[in-house]
Amino acid sequence: MTASQDIYPQTANVEQDVEQLRRAWRHPHGLLGWLSFTTHQAIGTRYIVTAFIMLLVGGIEALMMRTQLAHSNNGYLGPERYNQMFTTHGTTMMFLFAVPVMEGMAIYLIPLMVGTRNVAFPRLNAFGYWMYLFGVLFLYWGVLTNSAPDVGWFAYPPLSGPQFTPGKSTDYWAQMITFTEVSALCVAAELIATILKMRPPGMSLNRMPLYVWSILIQSWMVIFAMPAIVVASSYLLSDRTVGTQFVNPAEGGDPLLYQHIFWFFGHPEVYIIFIPALGFVSAIVVAHSRREIVGYTAMVLAQIANGFIAFGLWVHHMFATDLPQIGEAYFTASSMMIAITSGIQIFCWIATLWSGRARLTTALHFVYGFIAIFVLGGLTGVVLASVPLDLQVHDTFFVVAHFHYVLIGGAVFPLFGAFYHWFPKFTGRLMNETLGRVNFWVLFVGFNLTFFPMHILGLKGMPRRVYTYSPDMGWDNLNLLATIGAWVIAVGGVLFILNFLWSRKFGPVADNNPWEADSLEWAAASPPANYNFEYLPAVTSRYPLWVAREDRTVVTGTSTDRREVLVTTLMDAEPRHRYVLPGPSIWPLIAAICVTVGFAGSVFNGWYITWGTIISGLAFLGWFWPKRPLEPQHD
Amino acid sequence: MTEVRTIDVSHLKPYEISSQHPLWWGQFMFVFIEGTMFAILIAAYFYVRLRMDVWPPPGDQFPHRVLPTLELVPLILSCVGAYWASEAAKKNSRSGMLGGMALNLVLAGIALWLRIIEWHSLNFNWRTDAMGSYVWAFLGLHTFDYIGDMAFTAVLFVLVLIGRYGPKQRLGVHVDSIVWYFLVAIWIPIYVVIYWGPILVETQQ
Amino acid sequence: MMRLLPRFTCLALSLLLSACITNKQSAIDPAGAQADRISTLWWSFFWLLGTIFIIVMIMTVLTLTRRRRGFEQEPLAQRHKASDETEHRLRRTITACTITSIVILFVLIFASVGTGRSNAEFHTAPNQLTIQVTGTQWWWQIQYMNSDATRNLATANEIHIPVGRPVHIVGVSNDVIHSFWVPNLNGKRDLIPSRVTDEWIEADHPGAFRGQCAEFCGLQHAHMAIWVIAEPEDRFQAWFRNQLQPAVAPSTPDLQQGQQVFLNHECIFCHQIRGTTAGGQSAPDLTHFGSRRGIAANTLPNTKGNLAGWILDPQSIKPGNHMATVEVSSTDLHPLIDYLESLK
Ligand code: HEA
Ligand code: HEA
Ligand code: HEC
Ligand code: CUA
Ligand SMILES: [Cu+2]
Repeated sequence: MTASQDIYPQTANVEQDVEQLRRAWRHPHGLLGWLSFTTHQAIGTRYIVTAFIMLLVGGIEALMMRTQLAHSNNGYLGPERYNQMFTTHGTTMMFLFAVPVMEGMAIYLIPLMVGTRNVAFPRLNAFGYWMYLFGVLFLYWGVLTNSAPDVGWFAYPPLSGPQFTPGKSTDYWAQMITFTEVSALCVAAELIATILKMRPPGMSLNRMPLYVWSILIQSWMVIFAMPAIVVASSYLLSDRTVGTQFVNPAEGGDPLLYQHIFWFFGHPEVYIIFIPALGFVSAIVVAHSRREIVGYTAMVLAQIANGFIAFGLWVHHMFATDLPQIGEAYFTASSMMIAITSGIQIFCWIATLWSGRARLTTALHFVYGFIAIFVLGGLTGVVLASVPLDLQVHDTFFVVAHFHYVLIGGAVFPLFGAFYHWFPKFTGRLMNETLGRVNFWVLFVGFNLTFFPMHILGLKGMPRRVYTYSPDMGWDNLNLLATIGAWVIAVGGVLFILNFLWSRKFGPVADNNPWEADSLEWAAASPPANYNFEYLPAVTSRYPLWVAREDRTVVTGTSTDRREVLVTTLMDAEPRHRYVLPGPSIWPLIAAICVTVGFAGSVFNGWYITWGTIISGLAFLGWFWPKRPLEPQHD
Repeated sequence: MTEVRTIDVSHLKPYEISSQHPLWWGQFMFVFIEGTMFAILIAAYFYVRLRMDVWPPPGDQFPHRVLPTLELVPLILSCVGAYWASEAAKKNSRSGMLGGMALNLVLAGIALWLRIIEWHSLNFNWRTDAMGSYVWAFLGLHTFDYIGDMAFTAVLFVLVLIGRYGPKQRLGVHVDSIVWYFLVAIWIPIYVVIYWGPILVETQQ
Repeated sequence: MMRLLPRFTCLALSLLLSACITNKQSAIDPAGAQADRISTLWWSFFWLLGTIFIIVMIMTVLTLTRRRRGFEQEPLAQRHKASDETEHRLRRTITACTITSIVILFVLIFASVGTGRSNAEFHTAPNQLTIQVTGTQWWWQIQYMNSDATRNLATANEIHIPVGRPVHIVGVSNDVIHSFWVPNLNGKRDLIPSRVTDEWIEADHPGAFRGQCAEFCGLQHAHMAIWVIAEPEDRFQAWFRNQLQPAVAPSTPDLQQGQQVFLNHECIFCHQIRGTTAGGQSAPDLTHFGSRRGIAANTLPNTKGNLAGWILDPQSIKPGNHMATVEVSSTDLHPLIDYLESLK
């Protein structure tokens, strides 16, 4: 048994160490074993796969909407179906695809990039995944039992209240939010702990790869933004189920308060999706232009500023509600200022590509596509930030165009790029580049075909969320164009799936570092062993793998017979103490099931909250009950 | 494969009971989350209050203030117990941990009892109106966390009592104290909002 | 794919041009002071941001050509950055671009705040008109407010305004949130239960301008349209005076029968026809229904055929709307329709 790592210490007895590591990190067998995996590669993969399936589902919903809107007075979907479609589409894409897929990628990549063996809380990680999965199943159980939510992805009361939307559909929606929050918060907490406390010796904060920075910032944003949506969705749920008066105008509640709280979450949410994508772009640009990033410090500061400002502009979603002038001026200014932080990063990437030696791989194609689409989407964002202009195009297809430009151009294109970039690390094989380029062009053309016309539609007065329109509005042509585009995108999606399936079987085999990239994940095997590295790396540079091998350093002396990692100090990452991570465990699944009983049941009967709490309590007791042998006492 | 220099870490402690430990950060994050949530609720309470010109809304009687104020005493004292336990955990003194946690639990229990008998003086429930909804949301959420953490402490107490504990459990005792400080600290603004809020922002008429 | 690209773009462009023909509900075809200011602002944004976009794109494309020059002669292993002066040059350029962006943004901020101010400015002109618009699932209830209550006018789904007079739209709602939006005249304003919102419109030339509810309000959000008809002062006064009158008495036997049909059916529980015993308040006022352009919040043009279809089966025309299907025998139907259409 030999080391797959490209470097190893002369002193060590490599064979024996590797053998012990393999035993310590071996996956348990059987179905029960599979259900109790806690390695970050396994959990990350589960997130990514589930999220891509949700993209497919949301996409199919989108295609149905587009087909309905293809021409005026179309009878394909009735008003009821259509409203359910855009609500589940928006909800699925935002809560069940975009956020989880970014988390999944981070769970997989971060421990590798910070040269450690797993995330800080492996069992919490598994628990988070199960909660996410049960959230998906809960919402779609509603959809399949024909009570899909139909009040839009932000479910404004009073429309979403008990009086105007009786039935369970909105409760499913609100409770699904709770599931995904729990999951997102678990992931954020463990990623922050991993990044702050488990970096390799020498990786001081100012040596962290930009992707790691982006995830650190995104996770903090999750910590501060998610509680708001907890509050908002609980308002809705408790008003609907136990008769509270939070948003009921009749009893002193206020519908606008809900909007404030929702968007205090909702705006950061979009950057929670977007900032990891910026991390992807940085990683790809550096690796494929084979050059250090221009303006590292500027990039980091810009992203941090981005994270802060994002909490100061939620009201730009509410301009039409007739707010005080002064407030409007402030939120216009803050919304426009965020253009600067985004601009700086765009400029830095262009400068890097400009002076680098770009290798025009598929991954880089997607980055170029990202720049083109995102900049346009960002500029329409600036238009929306202007109160008078927003009052015209708010709630029209102009907004729909804006957010698909920034969401798909700004997050999904980088995601596809990242997938092409890291696929060899995930699977040990490269994806097919030719098919990749075709895939890119189909998506790029299809995308613009779909969403560019929507700008014009918006200006020509087409509101969003209308299930049909009359022929004499003159909206037919542009809508038809958009529908054709949507199907082109679908073809692009099919190409992507085909390329994925083909490459997993027949793609050219990749070595540890096929792109000659700079960051630590490329020092591990492709695909990485459960323990990632035989010898935890130490770093001396921002671009560890671009340091000549003989100048590199690894860590020895962590025990290889248990799942032990190194904990380092927050700023300078000096070795501080060792830390034994828990191994596989079925308890996260059991706990998730108990919590689900409580959450799901409470939609139908308040008492389930009590029962759910009790059984969950017992489950957590089992989870934390000390297993013998207790760790040796060293003092 | 190339041979390279090494950093040997075998001399480092296999664990540390302090803010250095990742689990400590995990708890810390939990505190952030809860704190943000209560902050939002408090802001929301005043938002609603400022839109009404009669507060408490007609029919709701003014919450009593005697017992809740008394309740603060055992509540704040219970932090001493928590602190004692967590220091003992660092020094691995079993008796210290037991004593600290016992003190913590007893005082917390008294405070909880005072709080619950006070509830009878509230003549409105969460269905009555917005104020009812908020007051009961505060009481419900905080009491839920409060009992949750008491249960956690109780479990640790038992584990230490029967000697089934190692560094992990001692770390547990340590981080448990952090959560407890938070729950006590956050209760003070909540107490002010519920029991003084109605007069803090004067009824404008 | 590459060969298809130009063809697609051509198609897109041709459509883009054809797109600007029908403008009955367009934000960039202003017919009033407010909308005018906004579209001016729009075009200045459009050109400024457009230029920025072009420049950024050119720089981006250039990186593709530049990549064969620069410093890549140096072997990969040694250095992954350019010479120090290149690095400096790059950083200076980035700083410059950033500063320019900031300046541009300040211009944009001041421009839009300015426009916002003048559009929100409260008129106190003595001749101003105040109209209360109430959003209801899924139609518009209209109230012309007036100091003397006898001149308060109730109607639905259609507003007439005099050219050149500032009109104060007072927005309220008694169910869910709707949004009043007539793009050719001004931006939108939400109608929110438990709140009152304000907006000003002022037409500068006669015409019929379509508006549509912009905030999602449930099943028939798509069919909640309104017409604003701007006409010269005298025409407006004439219309207003006529609307204040109770419904015209049926002159022919056919019309008399029609009225009886209406009064003897459930219609009266929901609809009002001033001057008759029909006093329902939960549905559009039909006193002058014949003079209106549309049926069911302008879902259909107001023709006899459409009206017959609507009365016989409102639910198939506008699924889920709150009008009950009422049994009207075939012999009753025609008189009923003639009667309603006679209510000019
Ligand atoms: C990835 C997600 C994402 C991102 C990154 C953004 C980015 C931005 N968004 Fe967007 N937004 C959404 C997702 C996103 N948005 C969603 C989902 C909605 C709709 C929700 C719903 O209603 O359903 C929305 C809605 C929305 C609105 C409300 C519209 C309405 O409902 O009426 C507004 C208004 O201000 C807005 C503004 C902005 C701005 C100013 C930016 C800025 O961050 C953009 C900054 C970037 C650039 C400007 C381009 C690059 C910069 C340069 C090249 C420098 C030079 C530029 C200048 C000098 C101008 N967005
Ligand atoms: C990340 C988020 C995200 C993404 C990726 C998308 C993707 C798409 N969206 Fe999205 N959309 C939203 C977020 C997103 N949307 C949100 C938040 C709303 C607001 C909802 C609301 O108003 O409440 C919205 C609303 C919205 C509307 C407005 C509805 C309305 O207001 O009336 C429309 C209409 O055209 C639309 C269309 C599309 C299309 C055509 C795609 C396409 O890009 C989808 C393409 C993807 C696929 C097709 C799947 C991939 C394909 C395969 C894997 C191949 C296999 C599948 C087949 C062959 C079928 N979306
Ligand atoms: C249950 C209450 C109810 C009854 C009974 C009822 N209507 Fe209606 N009617 C409505 C509502 C509500 C609307 C508005 C529907 C919409 O536009 O969404 C409406 C709309 C209309 C309109 C179109 C008005 C406009 O300006 O758009 C006409 C005409 C009409 N009804 C005629 C009738 C006649 C004739 C009858 C009896 C045969 C009748 N209604 C019975 C509730 C009712
Ligand atoms: Cu009324 Cu939408
Ligand atoms: Cu926003």
